[in-house]
Amino acid sequence: MKKITFLILLLLATFLSASNATALEGSFKVGPAIILISILVLFVMVGLFFRAKDTTDYYAAGRGVSRVGSGMAIASNWMSAASFLGMAALMYGSGYHGLAFVVGWTGGYVLLLILMAGQIRKYGKYTAPDFIGDRYYSSALRATSAVVAILISISYCVGQFGGIGLMFKWVMGIDYLWAVIIGSSVVLTYTLISGMLGVTKNMQIQYVIIIISFLIPLFILTYKFDYFWVVPQIGYGAVVTDIVQGIPAPETTSLVNSFGHNFAILPSPEYAMPWDPATGKTFFQWMAITFSLMVGTAGLPHVIQRFYVVPKARDARWSVVWGLFFICILYWSAPVFSAFGKILSADPEIGILAKDAIVVYTAQLGDINPLIVGLLAAGGVSAAFSTVSGLLVAGSSAFSHDLYFKVINPKADPKTQLRMARLATVLMAIIVMCLAMLKLALIGQLVALAFSLAGCTIFPLFLLGIWWSGSNKKGAIAGLSAGLLVTAISLTYFVAGKAGATLPFHSFVSYWLGAWYFAWIGAPLAIITNIVVSNMTKETPIEIRKFLVEQVHT
Amino acid sequence: MEKKNDYRISFFKPTTALSRTNRNLVILLVIIWAVAIFGFQILLRVMQKPVPESSMKTFEKVWSNIEQGIATQEEKVDFTNSVLSVLGKSVLISDPASRLVLINAVSSTIYGLIPEEAKETFLTEVANFEKKKENIQSLQDNDYLKAKANIINRLAPLLNLEPYSLKAKLLPLVISASEMEIFKPDNKEKLPDIMKLYLVHNRSILTDTNFLGFPFHYFYTAIFLLIMFVVLCWIYCFLIDRVHSKLGTDEKS
Repeated sequence: MKKITFLILLLLATFLSASNATALEGSFKVGPAIILISILVLFVMVGLFFRAKDTTDYYAAGRGVSRVGSGMAIASNWMSAASFLGMAALMYGSGYHGLAFVVGWTGGYVLLLILMAGQIRKYGKYTAPDFIGDRYYSSALRATSAVVAILISISYCVGQFGGIGLMFKWVMGIDYLWAVIIGSSVVLTYTLISGMLGVTKNMQIQYVIIIISFLIPLFILTYKFDYFWVVPQIGYGAVVTDIVQGIPAPETTSLVNSFGHNFAILPSPEYAMPWDPATGKTFFQWMAITFSLMVGTAGLPHVIQRFYVVPKARDARWSVVWGLFFICILYWSAPVFSAFGKILSADPEIGILAKDAIVVYTAQLGDINPLIVGLLAAGGVSAAFSTVSGLLVAGSSAFSHDLYFKVINPKADPKTQLRMARLATVLMAIIVMCLAMLKLALIGQLVALAFSLAGCTIFPLFLLGIWWSGSNKKGAIAGLSAGLLVTAISLTYFVAGKAGATLPFHSFVSYWLGAWYFAWIGAPLAIITNIVVSNMTKETPIEIRKFLVEQVHT
Repeated sequence: MEKKNDYRISFFKPTTALSRTNRNLVILLVIIWAVAIFGFQILLRVMQKPVPESSMKTFEKVWSNIEQGIATQEEKVDFTNSVLSVLGKSVLISDPASRLVLINAVSSTIYGLIPEEAKETFLTEVANFEKKKENIQSLQDNDYLKAKANIINRLAPLLNLEPYSLKAKLLPLVISASEMEIFKPDNKEKLPDIMKLYLVHNRSILTDTNFLGFPFHYFYTAIFLLIMFVVLCWIYCFLIDRVHSKLGTDEKS
């Protein structure tokens, strides 16, 4: 037994030292692979241990999760590949413009809290379509919003599967397509065996892994390159200023990246200056993205669904505070990677780097121990996993509960519903996997698309549904149609552009209704349409109004 | 006037003490939230002015003579240095068309600076380096490093650069043998706009003030706003809990 242990350790040590050679891509990295596999096994074990026993468990984790626990789950659910990998990528590529995503993805929680969280919990429905169908007394709206929820989950998942693929590619040194297939299979297996109860427990563990793996390299980078390392989130301010002013190359080599290039950069104010012309981004786009992401945050089914898993409305509210705080820890940190990445990859010899992997590349270029870089990559995978599982649960819930059980087969027993949920999960995963292989855009941008869709459709229905009893079925249908129309126009131009086709007024529509921010006009339009039509048509039934007054607003 | 038993609710027309307090609180927080986020960006936009980098000023000074082909050696050196300032920006990677224009500008001007008798050798040296660059397996390849150092050592003194400086190290990677003979007229036409695009930035007192090491606007957006969001959420929860307990409307499980 001792001999076997010794052999294993020897083999491991050989592999670890072999993988020490710095190569940004290409080879199989044993150390990181072991860390990644261990973490995935841990997730599956936790998922098995806390697996869903029935539909109540599957959808809402038995409503037995504490505020801090729920906050951690909210954060983990939220901190996707877009936060972990995509945000640094956006700032690395377009500087200050990337901060629109940081602000948009956090500021939306304020809206969510003060306008919805407590009321959603009080309303007491399992899923977003459930709320919409009930509040607007319409099976058609329930079915349509279920389809919208599925579409949101799918478009959100595409970016996540892309992130999983990139990290699996980096760790395993395999082709991107195979990496996406393997990664997708693992995340699907995990979601199927765990359900939301397992997911909630896992999310708490995932949060810890995500945040630790993200923060350790920051301390090392700031310490190594002589910045204020005690609080890297503040220490990197000097890095940003250095990028703006430039760091001259020293006469004698001192601080270098893993390729031996000096820690130096020519003055690059375009990195930090607002809507710099060099980045090709404008003031309007900054504002539109921020607004769209914020209203999208308050309309995402898998985020809203988190409020059903806390015991009462007060807990729902406080879980948002905790969730936002946990999220901000990562969001304060992500720009650090992009700032260091900017300097460490400044030498033209580095060539073009895949922006979405810049977090990992920065750690590599900073010559951080490969095992820590491996942990970072595993953190990226965890971030994607935690979100994907939440999204797949939300999407499959929309299908099995809101479409199948409430519309198609109301007599279905819980066992059949659970089977349908699992079938929907598999189908969604396959669709998402195929779309992720197309590499349509950056992770952050693909995710932003889901936000705009949610902002144009679900958000107006929730906002008016909760706060104005005058909003009725016909108003909701009209508002949803307006939101979907804006979405359809924007996506048609986006897809046409990707296919190389040019439609009438192509550059005009693509700019003003960009795929990442069309909710800036779609959301207000849907709200106004809803109000106008509601005022012109028959009032909301008294029983709904009574329920709102007595149950939701007391 | 709304009747109590109508069961009509509207955010703007609250009927109970709880909803009235909640409405006031929400309106206050939303105003703070909106002004802090969008108000600041609008202020940033209003205050900004296009400010050129020093390289842009140098470029503007010498461009007219370069364009007419009557530039002195010194002006050519200044011109090359200003173009190198753009070629060294990593953001240029996503704009290969502009990069080609800049490469042509730098290569042809440097070629003009090389003494006549050394021109042929220089061309061969650069062409050989380009071939090596395409075929190397590692950046530490000895032949590659030697060829690179040769070009740097030849050009750095010519351009008044220290051989270890970033611009000097950039030189072998941004000159091309095929772009040396002539500064193409269409590239001449495009160059000023490219230089302006990359060397003029939106700046104001908000971007030039330093706070905790950050440019102030960057700190405000990346750090402060997030702190404010957490604080706003905390304040709302704290106050609404207080209102609930005051009105005796604490929720049950």
